[in-house]
Amino acid sequence: MADDLWFERLAEGAGAPIEARAPAVLKAKVYSAMLTRMAESGPLDDLLHSKRAGERLCVFENSLTLLPIGADLRSKNPCRVCHARVLAERMEHAPIFWPGCPYSEFHNG
Amino acid sequence: MASDADPGGNPLVRDNDDVDPHAPGASGVPVLREAVRAEAGEAELVASVLRRDRKAAARFVAAHIDAVYAYARHRLTPRVELVDDVVQDVFLAALDSLAAFQGQSSLRAWLIGIARHKVEDVYRRRLRVSEPLEAVEADEDPRLSAVPAMEAHIDAARSRDRARQVLSRIPERYGLVLLWRYWEQRSVREIAAAIGATEKSVERTLARARERFKELWLKEERHG
Repeated sequence: MADDLWFERLAEGAGAPIEARAPAVLKAKVYSAMLTRMAESGPLDDLLHSKRAGERLCVFENSLTLLPIGADLRSKNPCRVCHARVLAERMEHAPIFWPGCPYSEFHNG
Repeated sequence: MASDADPGGNPLVRDNDDVDPHAPGASGVPVLREAVRAEAGEAELVASVLRRDRKAAARFVAAHIDAVYAYARHRLTPRVELVDDVVQDVFLAALDSLAAFQGQSSLRAWLIGIARHKVEDVYRRRLRVSEPLEAVEADEDPRLSAVPAMEAHIDAARSRDRARQVLSRIPERYGLVLLWRYWEQRSVREIAAAIGATEKSVERTLARARERFKELWLKEERHG
């Protein structure tokens, strides 16, 4: 059928996904949703492990690794109460510049 | 493509799509080595996310969200307001089934496969909840069948934008059924089964959708 062929060719030619970058707000929301889902099935990995593995921690995360607290607290998600997350999920060009903060990297990366 | 002399490159954010075997000057051995490294990097990333490493989750999102977003946006045009939810659903579904990821394809290809299912879920839901296919068809203008034949040659670069414009102007059900049939390459039988309609009904809707699409396509062409 000629129509079928025409549409198949159109879809084939015009079907390649456009080059598009996900908005930083979406990246932030997806990351937050992933952390929430990960935390539902158990504690997050201890921040000390991340630090020892050479990961960059933000100033708040780093402070948790310096305080005399247990692994259970270091496995919490401090981003839940962080202003950087709130801004990152609501503003496309959020003014957050914390080194080691994933939300900042989504916006400035 | 990063080389071995690129110590600053982060292997965890690469995937197989970065390996271009046709790149100028590329020989088989470095490409193979790069592919092996990318595969190892993906395996490490997956293991880290499964360990609930939050930093790995951030890398996972950063490395692949643009590809998933572009795919979903392209397939859901003109309903771009649905894209964000689909992208989030893709990543959560991926997280839920990440333990089953075997590395037989790249992570990106695996995620796009999930995205395809999620996009089809949207097609299915929206076609199911709306009025029966025949109800809209009854209101169609019978003169549409007189639309002239279209040119054989389709310029890919220009047709993409024009197709998007036309899809945004035809009734949603028409756009969805065209996307599903031709862009997602699903058969009429598969679409009918998915939405609980008869094949004949889907065929009729497709025919109307094609006519409406062509009509607007030709209008766009005449107006430059």
